[in-house]
Amino acid sequence: MSEQTGKQMSKEEKDARFEAELLPVLDPLYNFAYRLTLDEDDANDLVQETYLKAYRFFDYFEQGTNAKAWLFRILKNSFINEFRKKSKQPAKVDYSEVEGYYNSDDVEGEGGVATTTDLRTESVQDLIGDEVASALNALPVDFRTVIILCDLEGFTYEEMAKILDIPIGTVRSRLHRARNSLKEKLENYAKSMGYNNS
Amino acid sequence: MESKFTEAYQKTSEEGHESDCDKTAHLLDLIIDGEASAEEQSFFTTHIEDCAPCFESHQKQKLLKNLVSGHLKRVIVPESLALSIKARIQETA
Repeated sequence: MSEQTGKQMSKEEKDARFEAELLPVLDPLYNFAYRLTLDEDDANDLVQETYLKAYRFFDYFEQGTNAKAWLFRILKNSFINEFRKKSKQPAKVDYSEVEGYYNSDDVEGEGGVATTTDLRTESVQDLIGDEVASALNALPVDFRTVIILCDLEGFTYEEMAKILDIPIGTVRSRLHRARNSLKEKLENYAKSMGYNNS
Repeated sequence: MESKFTEAYQKTSEEGHESDCDKTAHLLDLIIDGEASAEEQSFFTTHIEDCAPCFESHQKQKLLKNLVSGHLKRVIVPESLALSIKARIQETA
């Protein structure tokens, strides 16, 4: 049923192509999974499941097309089908858990952030990053999703519409509402820190 | 042509006809996301040159986007993940 161009690929060829085209998306995909599930083990499972599904349907994937959007779409659907009902309240996150996560040693090893940066600046950056993360994590999952896709992963509205299976107009209005909620949460934080410029 | 979006973007003035500030506000996300047409872009740029409140909202919206894109930490993929994906794929017929 796929468009077989000439001869059938051997399993080795297929595996090699699969790895070359789809494994480079692992990092953004895992990050997306983590932001959806807010749990490292769930993110792990979700990503594995996504790759296995992608492998099963790899014949339908047209080489050279948008592998990233394709995988994000599969992951999003798997999340809706399985994880959402499992974790009843993905929108609420225990703040201490997030804190614990960011304090864990793993994170400090992150790609060369440390070495040359001024410590003071770095801790301010961390503080802002933590605040953005907890504001984002407190948003309903649909809002969180569009912000991640747009601002973190840089998908276009059209790609987002395909990933989420919704019209572009809905992408646009959802993004607008999501940003308003995020802004509200971050403004509360800014006020609590003594910035009152609104 | 903007009709399919307008209802989500409320606030049109009583005559049902948008002020330049309303129009600018509706374009804000398109502008910061690089999705605006050349025409929308030039309308927007011209307007915010003269309108301080709209200029200010543009700055704020850009800042918000940059907070996410520039400050949200990426989580580190466990090393075992790529290996287990490869292993499971190889087992698959």
